[in-house]
Amino acid sequence: MIETRELSKYYGEIKAVDRLNLTVYEGEIFGLLGPNGSGKTTTFITLMGLTVPTSGTATIGGYDIVKDSRKVRKIASMLPEGAGYYEDLTAEQNLNYICQLNDIPKPERERTIKDLLEAVGLADNAKMKVEKFSRGMRQRLGIAEVLIKKPRVALFDEPTIGLDPQGTKEIRDMMFRLNKEQGLTVLLSSHLLYEVQQTCQRVGIIRKGRLIAADTIGNLSKKLSKWKVTLELELAGAGPDLIREIKGINDVMSVDQEGSKIFVHMESDRTREVSEAVIKHGATILLMRPKEHSLDEIFMEYMKEGDQ
Amino acid sequence: MAGALTVCRKELADHLGSRRYVVLFALILLLSTLSAYQGTEYIKNNPNAGFMAIFSGARFGFSFTYLMVFFGPIIGLALGFDAVNKERTSGTLSVLLCQPIFRDSVINGKFMGGTAALSLLAASTIGIMCGVAMPILGFGPGFEDALRIVLFALLTIVYLTFWLALGLLFSTVTKKTSTSILLSISTWLFCSIVISIIAALVANYAVPIQMPSGPFNPGAQGTQEYRELMQRRTTIQMNIQRISPAYLYNEAGSSILGTMGGSFGFGELGRGTPFQRLELTQALATRWPQILAIVVGMVVCFAATYMLFLRMEIRPEG
Repeated sequence: MIETRELSKYYGEIKAVDRLNLTVYEGEIFGLLGPNGSGKTTTFITLMGLTVPTSGTATIGGYDIVKDSRKVRKIASMLPEGAGYYEDLTAEQNLNYICQLNDIPKPERERTIKDLLEAVGLADNAKMKVEKFSRGMRQRLGIAEVLIKKPRVALFDEPTIGLDPQGTKEIRDMMFRLNKEQGLTVLLSSHLLYEVQQTCQRVGIIRKGRLIAADTIGNLSKKLSKWKVTLELELAGAGPDLIREIKGINDVMSVDQEGSKIFVHMESDRTREVSEAVIKHGATILLMRPKEHSLDEIFMEYMKEGDQ
Repeated sequence: MAGALTVCRKELADHLGSRRYVVLFALILLLSTLSAYQGTEYIKNNPNAGFMAIFSGARFGFSFTYLMVFFGPIIGLALGFDAVNKERTSGTLSVLLCQPIFRDSVINGKFMGGTAALSLLAASTIGIMCGVAMPILGFGPGFEDALRIVLFALLTIVYLTFWLALGLLFSTVTKKTSTSILLSISTWLFCSIVISIIAALVANYAVPIQMPSGPFNPGAQGTQEYRELMQRRTTIQMNIQRISPAYLYNEAGSSILGTMGGSFGFGELGRGTPFQRLELTQALATRWPQILAIVVGMVVCFAATYMLFLRMEIRPEG
């Protein structure tokens, strides 16, 4: 659905987007993950034709983003970070303006607006001026604006930034619903790992304008893990002798202690040997479980790799 | 084009509902009506003066032309100075440009909307002036006078549009509305006041006239030499003032109306200039450079805005 080839945007010496090769398939929710200033927003605005790429090409739904920019904007919507509204107009009037710009005929407009306000839960605030809206309401109005043109692709730039947990959940549920019910392809950007993990089927990690990895979270985790198995332990009465013994077990690569927790990184599964050692030393097991790599770790690890 | 019309409609609705526009409109309307009323008084006392004298209440302080010279820039600039950068900083511009419209629709629509608002202001003010004067005088403009009024209204609209285009340019060049408002105000002060002071100073310096010392000697002012010096001075002053579109408008406007016209700036306030009523064709023939200059100025400002806007990168954060 979205395909970029060596897409680049330079500002003088600064490479905001650097030879980006990204593919987003139809019907998926793809998360672009990266720290602030990594080129997420620049990628988005280049895709929507708000700026021109320095080099490289990209297509959305088969349309070239430079030559067919207007056609791209017919099938693709974007909710920019910190999207603005006409403050002295009501929610309804704001939507009406966007409807007109999308050439939606007058008889359909009223219905479209009503349905959308209902869908994003703003039906009761239709006649309220936007200046009185809370942040969460604004973001929901933004989603309504995005949906006016019945897009096939929607780009959400940091959609939940600054929202409370309730608001975040509402936005996320909405994205899920649109994806499932209408087959909307979603590309969202975030620096919040948890959010991406919760929402996206596939993730791309972007750093200094370059895509350093793109895959499902499971696969990214597998590719990355240096240690095949990590065991998380919480013990009562563990002494330095015990730690030394665990370190001595075959295939155990390293042991990290973080507060009361002990992480044992192993080349292959040695859970049995570890538990035997604990019992031998007279310690009590409070908690013991194999640990999956969280996206947090994957992310940090990729960032570290990128630096090398 | 559909996109441009949509933007135009919204802009026009915004203008008509904005406090800024309503206040300026009310002010112009009030002052114009007063000047028209004063004009009728003048016509009653001077049977030779034609209908057009309603536009030249100059003897009583101000005329419609003078109002436009002085307030015209502020009206046009007020409608344009924040048209682009306000939407840029508030984040509505990036939303707007994500819609399936051509980018130039936005800038064209804004220009069209502003022009419509200005046309409404100018045309209705002139119309109301005529409407106030006719019942009082008991007669209306003849055919030629009516033609003059229409042409004058068109000139006024073009002149106001020039300032609108300049305002749009300021709002495209600058990122903050505070910067563009400063630029607008200084341009306004320069074109309507400062330029006439500078012109007077330069003329004074370039053509010094030695005042004979001693008691007042009327004979010294009557000499041929003195008149020539004064003539040179006026020419220099006039040519410098022609930098200002407001002055050009003043010249062209009063010739088209066939009135004495307004005074320009402070330098000439209240000083009667010799006046000769020109035929309409004659007026257009002698004043076409002024008219052309205003039109070209407007086109250049808008073209520059257009180019800049099309190349502009729209970042959500402004």
